[in-house]
Amino acid sequence: MEERMRKYKRRKSILRRLSESPKAQKVETVMLPVAFGILVVALWQGKILHRLFHTDTFVLPVPTKIFGIMGGITDKVIGNTIDTLLVAGIGLLLGSIIGYLVAVIASFLPNMGKGGLTIVGAFASIPIAALAPVMNNWTKDVSTEASFRSMISKILVVLLIAAANMGLNAYRGLTELKPYALDLMATYAASKRRIFVKLQLPNSLPYVFIALKVSVPASIMTAIVSEYFAEYITGIGRQIRENIVLAQYSIAWVYITVACMIGIVSYALLMVIQSLVLKRYR
Amino acid sequence: MKSTLQWLARQTWFQVLFWTLVLIGAWEAGATLVEMTKRMPANIMPHLYQILQAAFSGQEVSGGMTATQVVLKASAATLGRAFLGFLLGALAGYMLAFLMKLSGVIEKMIFPYLMLIQLIPVLGLAPIILAITGNINSSRLVIAAILSFYPVATNTLAGFKSVEKDKYDLMATYAAKKRNMFLKVLIPQSIPYFFTGLKVAAPMAVTASILVDTLQGDGGLGCILSQALKHAMSIYVFWLIVFFSAFVGIFSSILIHWVELLVTPGVVVNLLRKLSIGKEAGAYGRKNEKVQKKKKYPSSVV
Repeated sequence: MEERMRKYKRRKSILRRLSESPKAQKVETVMLPVAFGILVVALWQGKILHRLFHTDTFVLPVPTKIFGIMGGITDKVIGNTIDTLLVAGIGLLLGSIIGYLVAVIASFLPNMGKGGLTIVGAFASIPIAALAPVMNNWTKDVSTEASFRSMISKILVVLLIAAANMGLNAYRGLTELKPYALDLMATYAASKRRIFVKLQLPNSLPYVFIALKVSVPASIMTAIVSEYFAEYITGIGRQIRENIVLAQYSIAWVYITVACMIGIVSYALLMVIQSLVLKRYR
Repeated sequence: MKSTLQWLARQTWFQVLFWTLVLIGAWEAGATLVEMTKRMPANIMPHLYQILQAAFSGQEVSGGMTATQVVLKASAATLGRAFLGFLLGALAGYMLAFLMKLSGVIEKMIFPYLMLIQLIPVLGLAPIILAITGNINSSRLVIAAILSFYPVATNTLAGFKSVEKDKYDLMATYAAKKRNMFLKVLIPQSIPYFFTGLKVAAPMAVTASILVDTLQGDGGLGCILSQALKHAMSIYVFWLIVFFSAFVGIFSSILIHWVELLVTPGVVVNLLRKLSIGKEAGAYGRKNEKVQKKKKYPSSVV
């Protein structure tokens, strides 16, 4: 009997065993992307990427050169990064708060509020390229200091985008409650304020993070783009543009690298905060 | 009277109309204020009727063309490329999601990078892509394609993954081939998700295209916008472009919603039935609407 079982139970092929073992799966999930990344960087460093895109090392410098230059102009890079981060951060914060408040007001006006949010959502679809110059014009009288007023105008653009995003998502969080949750509250004879604090507010938290997942990268992108139109020359985005106009492509690439790193780091940070905050509710 | 008002307040079109009127009122109030206090009110906040007047006046602003002609000619160049790039990006995105569904290795290899692209400010790359391609038209196309590529790819993949196990089991009991599995289950399931991706991508493609215009003078919308801003032509051209691009950005996702309704089976039939019989709209259309509403915010997929 034993003999026969062994006969049927053939050894699986190595591929089959790899795809079935959970350990190998875990290794694969990490190794494959890393291998792909190394491949791309190697192609880039080996100038094969340049041949593919029909370009040269002047326009697309190799990674080692980019990092070499970054080391040389660290002070300038940090200064510009701070400017961009300030715009994106303040805009995101104020915009998210305003968006949330709008959502709260809309949730108290169930009929008219929804239509209002449709309009708010439309703001998110307005091209930044059209919004930024308008904001520049509107903030001309805020201050005599060009650096300050152009910063305000950039913040306003970011704020509008972030608020639209947060408003839509928070409204969903405040109104799309679990079935019977409102009925339960009614049986407790809970006041409106109580319902809001105990039910709607916690329910909206995951939605707040859904909104932030979109608006964190979006606010960085908006800050960078609105710098293109700003009066005062500062920030990562403006440096990218100015250096390309001057044909200083390698310096532009330094700022592009920084922009990408900001995007990735801030998103990772958001993920950490999310797991910390939402853990309490799970 | 009161019940009519309540009925009106529940209608979506009325709500949108109401808030639009409120916005217009706020704008006009602001414009009146600006007109009284500022030296050059047209730069900051002109009255809406002044913008409309500029749109319909026969006055030539540049090169023997009226303001509307200038804007339309520029938008043809800009939006044409944006649309082409959008189509290319959407196609590439769908193909990649398809490949990722077919092969787990490809998915594991590329998916983290797909997430990374979302975090990279691609619009910040506009100048460098212009430098690499060297041609404003192809760089418009490339950037619009990149920007529309990732929402489509991630959403479509989420659609492929949303297929319930029951459906796989059912197909297994039918002894369905892999090809049929895709044709009958996976692809139909992915379509609503695909459209969600498109809805996110469309305004981005428009924004990207306008932005690339401002980098090089080649008669696109963005180019005219910066010229008008520097008073190379009437400032009303600037306002026309602002409103026009806002309209295009908003309208692009509505347009895709309509296309989605057109290709969704049963919805058109239902609409016709609704028109002819009135209240007896079938359940199918409504059901679909519900499904779409649930998936409105694709970024939650991330």
